[in-house]
Amino acid sequence: MPASRDVLVEVTVNGVPHTARVPARTLLVHFLRDRLRLTGTHVGCDTTQCGACTVALDGVAVKSCTVLAAQASGHEIQTIEGLAPAGDAAGLHPVQQAFWQEHGLQCGYCTPGMVMAVRQILADHPDPTEADVRHGLAGNICRCTGYQNIVAAALDAARHLRGA
Amino acid sequence: MFPADFGYVRAGSLAQALDLLTEAAEADEDAKLLAGGQSLLPMMKLRLATPQTLIDIGGLAELTGVTVDASGTTVIGALSTYRALQRDPHIAAAYPAMTDALAVLADQQVRARGTIGGCVAHGDPAADLPAVLLALAASVTLTSRHGTRTVPLDDFLQGVFATDLAPDEVVTAITVPAAPPGQAYEKFEQPASHLPLAGVCAVVAVTDGVITSAGVAVTGVAGRAFRALDTERSLASARPTAAVIEAAASQVASGVRPLSDQHASGPFRLHLAQVLARRALTQAVERAATA
Repeated sequence: MPASRDVLVEVTVNGVPHTARVPARTLLVHFLRDRLRLTGTHVGCDTTQCGACTVALDGVAVKSCTVLAAQASGHEIQTIEGLAPAGDAAGLHPVQQAFWQEHGLQCGYCTPGMVMAVRQILADHPDPTEADVRHGLAGNICRCTGYQNIVAAALDAARHLRGA
Repeated sequence: MFPADFGYVRAGSLAQALDLLTEAAEADEDAKLLAGGQSLLPMMKLRLATPQTLIDIGGLAELTGVTVDASGTTVIGALSTYRALQRDPHIAAAYPAMTDALAVLADQQVRARGTIGGCVAHGDPAADLPAVLLALAASVTLTSRHGTRTVPLDDFLQGVFATDLAPDEVVTAITVPAAPPGQAYEKFEQPASHLPLAGVCAVVAVTDGVITSAGVAVTGVAGRAFRALDTERSLASARPTAAVIEAAASQVASGVRPLSDQHASGPFRLHLAQVLARRALTQAVERAATA
């Protein structure tokens, strides 16, 4: 099987299957934004540090600027656009609700990545300490330095998700 | 930013990956294996690496997982992710220093994709795990169309991004011998990359109040992770008092020519290594006492 400069990407994004032939060097974040027009996933640093491009790949948070679209082929992606409950256009996921409630954003650029990262932290730590949240957010940078309310939002979301 | 153009092929099995590698080597083609891609893809985006071909082995389930034999020797599939290893109960019980490192290695998103085999093959002088694996006397299993060989990690690592990996070989497993419970890893990180400016792993066996064996290794300080042989020698047969640990830690980078860059000067790295060696040894001795 020869290597190809174009690859067929077959990927399910937010429950919807997509098929496209793209250059092999296409990064997942560019596939999502430019091909599928899902522009909620942001490009911040482009160097695997800031986490603005965080999406879930087979349910686990990854940095989509550091995954090839080709690597995602055959897998399931969830982006910020697919986080709210299906069929509820106005609804918010409990993590999104908590960011709104606790004002966990300033300029908003890092917010989609923060929300997707917090979703993962709470999946791994349903009852997190503040230290768990801060350590879990090591891969996400807020240039507004608005971490205080982001952490408060994560802890608030954890309480709601536990039904407390 | 995106990588320079390349050809991509996904290997369906290890055998197919070996065939593809051999074909590329014979054609004098610059092919790279793609595992988790968490080091390779950033280098490709910066055009520090411009392979002609990527052979994606990321999906090979045959190279994942942890197995243990009766002697406690543990074989870790090269494509096991940091995230999977962090959640592996055997790793947590047998190699607490590895769990220490996995908890502070990069960030949760990178740990979800990055692999132990990719880390070792990459040869990054500032990777966390090589210090742990050297202190645990781990070895690397390499497979090619010509067969399989197992090399001590200490021989495999050669220098900055340089290893003993041949162009037609795949890192298939990391083997870690059974180890005493007195283990710890301590690092001081660059806050954006989370790479250690210095990281030290200590593994000590303590019997009747005397250190019967010691493995100490350092990463981030020199062109490759290294065993701190002077420190190990000064600990042998000693009682692990604070003074003994302090004296041993002060030799952790003796004779080493340190890296020096915009993140940390050479003398600062040497200082960090000594402080971290003291902390890691103290913690390892405590764990040995409470195990």
